Amino acid sequence: MSGPFAGFKWLALIRDWSVFAEGFAYTIAVSLLALLLALILGVLFGVLGTSQWKLGRNINRIYVEFMQNTPLVIQIFFLYHGLPHLGIVLPVFSVGVLGVGIYHGAYMSEAVRAGIQAIHRGQLEAAYSQGFKYQDAMRHIILPQAKRMALPPLTNQVVSLIKNTSVLAMVAGGELMYQADSWASTSLYYGPAYIVTGLLYLIICLPLALYASRLERRMEVRA
Amino acid sequence: MKRFSMLILGMFITAALLTGCGSDKPSQSSGGTSDLNAIKDRGVLKVGVKVDVPKFGFKDPQTGQIDGLEIDIARAIAKKILGDPNKIELQAVTAKTRGPLLDNGEVDLDIATFTITEERKQSYNFSEPYFTDGVAMMVKKTSGIQSINDLNGKKIGVAQSATSRKSLQEAADKAGVRVQFLEFGTYPEIKTALDAGRVDVFSVDGSILAGYLDDSTVILNDRFAQQQYGVVSKKDNTALANAINEAITEMKNNGELDKLIQKWGIK
Repeated sequence: MSGPFAGFKWLALIRDWSVFAEGFAYTIAVSLLALLLALILGVLFGVLGTSQWKLGRNINRIYVEFMQNTPLVIQIFFLYHGLPHLGIVLPVFSVGVLGVGIYHGAYMSEAVRAGIQAIHRGQLEAAYSQGFKYQDAMRHIILPQAKRMALPPLTNQVVSLIKNTSVLAMVAGGELMYQADSWASTSLYYGPAYIVTGLLYLIICLPLALYASRLERRMEVRA
Repeated sequence: MKRFSMLILGMFITAALLTGCGSDKPSQSSGGTSDLNAIKDRGVLKVGVKVDVPKFGFKDPQTGQIDGLEIDIARAIAKKILGDPNKIELQAVTAKTRGPLLDNGEVDLDIATFTITEERKQSYNFSEPYFTDGVAMMVKKTSGIQSINDLNGKKIGVAQSATSRKSLQEAADKAGVRVQFLEFGTYPEIKTALDAGRVDVFSVDGSILAGYLDDSTVILNDRFAQQQYGVVSKKDNTALANAINEAITEMKNNGELDKLIQKWGIK
């Protein structure tokens, strides 16, 4: 049998499974660190976006609009090919964590901002009347409530974040997509390579997506 | 529950679409001679060529014309099969797309600096080689790199789907130097990476490399591992593969191939 899905091509893939395992581990590592960065940026800029301080709101808008309205690929290319001309050579792993983390931080900050704005302003006023300062009211009163609102969209963002680490394949990133491309194009056994790669993304993303829709449904009942 | 049944329905539709496409294909491409006849009936030969390799397959940005040694070979094959060298339809391919385009029938054959290897012969039909080249290395003039012996700890940018990685690794092992490989999708990307200092060496087949030479870079004299280029067709198109091979052999024997190589000033 010949064709893209011939049996011997699958056997070759099984023989070289470690290539895919290496890429898979790398993807998970980049995703986790990028997620951490995105969450920190998301909460920081999300809170900034709801502040009474005008400059803070403007900074939030500039960050969000800039990151959301330029392609991630260009941002990654800038970090990878552009910065070295300015004398800054980041390792490709950091390019991935920073690029994907900052990009999704913008989306997460919008989710956090929406979550905060969904909380009735009476909550903040009540906190003030009890002698809370702004920071403490945010931390102890508003954010814990906003968290419930923001969690489903944030979980969806995590799914996008994981899938988007695949743009690193374009800058020799070493993650799953790069390894799949590399293996597939050397052997020309692209059929099994991309099916297995797709399945590997699916087994991390699908449970997260299902979890997000369960969270959404639970909110609907309460609301 | 509703959502779940929608999901199942979606899966069925996808499966139906996939198997639908799958069952179409074999009936079209079964039997060796019928493929050749299909091309004759169509009256045009669909050829996958490179558009970014000067002298082999290159699209002139001013005129939009694709020209080069490999296009001339395509014309010769069209003349052999269809009796008219102009009955070709060119399609741009890259190292990554040239295999899939053959499989799905978008092109009948690839003449695209496609290196012949034993592993690849299991997936496609390769003709007799029409050109032999060696892997070469391009470095920045300022890097001071003279030969493979200077490459300890250096990063080498290679193209995906290129055989240069394997042959360079062997050469590096022999020279006792440790090197790291980074793979990129296209040649311009490797050049960009070289300019940015992301890689220390840009390494592909020498003839391809020559097209990317500029004032700041130099191509080293070392050549590694002979790379033989062949015309590639789908595995089960045996009649087509035979016709291609006849055409190539004929061109080799009557000196036409040498004339073309000279015409394009290669080597």
